[in-house]
Amino acid sequence: MIEVKDVTKKFGRKPVLKGVSFTANKGEITCLIGINGVGKTTILNAIMNLTPLNSGEILIDGERINKHSYEKIAFIPDAITMLPNMKISDAMRFMADYYQCWNQKRADEMIGFFKLNPNDRISTLSKGNTAKVNMLLGLAMDVNYILMDEPFSGIDIFSREQIADVFTSHLVEDRGVIITTHEINDIEHLIDKAVLLNEGVVLKEFNAEEIRESEGKSVIDVMREVYLK
Amino acid sequence: MMRYLKLTNFELSRFFKIYLVLIGVTFVMQLLGVVFTSNKYLSAIKELLESGMTQEEALKQWGPFSFYNVTSSFWFFAPVALCAASLIIYVLFIWYRDWFGKNTFAYRLLMLPTARINVYFAKATAIFLMVLGLISLQIAFLPIESHLLQSIVPAPYLEEQGINQMISSFDSLRILYPTTFIEYLTHYGVGLMAVLVVFTGVLFERCFRWKGILLGVLFAGISLIVFFLPVIIQEFVLVQFFYPTELFFLMVLTGLIVMTGSILMSNYLLNKKIRV
Amino acid sequence: MDVKFNNRDPVYIQVIRHFKEKIATGGYEPGQEIPSRRELANNLKINPNTAQRAYKEMEEEGLIFTEGNLPSRITNDPEVIRNVRKELILEAVHSFVASVQSINVPLEEALHLVKENYQRNKNEQEESL
Repeated sequence: MIEVKDVTKKFGRKPVLKGVSFTANKGEITCLIGINGVGKTTILNAIMNLTPLNSGEILIDGERINKHSYEKIAFIPDAITMLPNMKISDAMRFMADYYQCWNQKRADEMIGFFKLNPNDRISTLSKGNTAKVNMLLGLAMDVNYILMDEPFSGIDIFSREQIADVFTSHLVEDRGVIITTHEINDIEHLIDKAVLLNEGVVLKEFNAEEIRESEGKSVIDVMREVYLK
Repeated sequence: MMRYLKLTNFELSRFFKIYLVLIGVTFVMQLLGVVFTSNKYLSAIKELLESGMTQEEALKQWGPFSFYNVTSSFWFFAPVALCAASLIIYVLFIWYRDWFGKNTFAYRLLMLPTARINVYFAKATAIFLMVLGLISLQIAFLPIESHLLQSIVPAPYLEEQGINQMISSFDSLRILYPTTFIEYLTHYGVGLMAVLVVFTGVLFERCFRWKGILLGVLFAGISLIVFFLPVIIQEFVLVQFFYPTELFFLMVLTGLIVMTGSILMSNYLLNKKIRV
Repeated sequence: MDVKFNNRDPVYIQVIRHFKEKIATGGYEPGQEIPSRRELANNLKINPNTAQRAYKEMEEEGLIFTEGNLPSRITNDPEVIRNVRKELILEAVHSFVASVQSINVPLEEALHLVKENYQRNKNEQEESL
């Protein structure tokens, strides 16, 4: 379980997170929803210790993040983080070199699934294919948790479909996933839990299937209530 | 340890192309320098001979040609300065390229399953090895250049020099090629210390941005004062109190303190304050 | 397998309904093997936990059964299948009655229209085949 506990964060004087708390379970897809600039990316960065917090703490399976955590939790930022002059195969070799949890078999499988050519250089890839390589580099790690920052933004519809397919496949099965998005439409049926954020606070945290069952509301209905209140 | 070595190798390979270009430019320019300076000398001599002077008279007027004439020329000095400037700039760029490149590679480096200080050590090691590499290549180039010189300038006009003489005849090279082991340790130790301090300054900036620049400069200033503390004491507090060897060992000590301080501070910044 | 889900009903209930329809219309034969939970999630583009939940509920209702580690199968019990069919018919009739009553149509007229419409639809379907 990933526990975010009363986390606050300021950029200069501007508060970005004002006491954010939520949990994300293993085996579930948790979706952080909110318009751009509400601190979704900052939360993911904070979980990975890529930005310092002003207060609060974040635990991964009960532990604060340390160097060993990076073998258990993968982060897929909204843009690829490999060097532009690397080939896809170079990027995969880099991962294999440094991570014990790298699963080359799974990586090869995804190369096939996404129809990528390992000899292509990252700088020459289309937006959609860059996003797919970015996904691949995270998903081919045998980790317990995967964080994905806006995996669907800025790419073509067919790439979106392919990436959405990932969520219902064995690539994600049994892992804990946290995904951020400002657009829920495509993935409403894919998520377990929704965390609605606004101006640095969690407005509501709920299980999508439960809210349909108990209140007959879609995720978007709840968002409408919460955000337009 | 494995990951530190891999990272060092990785950092070296990232600069390798530019490094090869620097080496190539240095070699070619210095060879051209040999050709141009010696031809200039020979044509001056030739002029004198044509005006009716004897060889001895001409030699008296211009003096014999030695490798010093080459090392003191623009052709020799410019590429050395270029290499030095490139590496000095790269001390900063080796960090900033990870944040400001087309893709933010800093994410990748900070999420490696290894102590983040290894990234710092790998970058420092890469800089250090590249400096050593350039210096040893320069030593290797000297005999080749000297051979070329001998084939152009006829023996009577040539004053032969060994490598040691070549080096000591070139003021700027003397710092790079110490003659004793102690000198060697101090020169490169001070160099390494400077790199570590600048790295820490860069990390301050990366953690706190504008405020970080101030903190970085402050850190460098304090490091400087700490390092020169024995000298300052010698000059202003306990005037002429220490023997030279005592002063030397005190500065080795303060140097080690500065390096340790840089490493500890960088470790703290990388683990607790860094942001992408 | 293409199912259009609505956003307001629990997805697992919609999945169960989809299975019931296929069982009632013979799309699934008694005893037929059904996809694994993961395959179902992938085919329907739904959360694997939801597929799991749907299968669990169907198992409890006796619509499907699993023996050991073998793939799950549609029930062989004719009683259960009859009940599914009956349930779907009653559901349809119920919603028909509700909408007809809400616009005050007399039963006779409604039944007449139903017969006419049903026949025409069937003829059209046969022609198009």
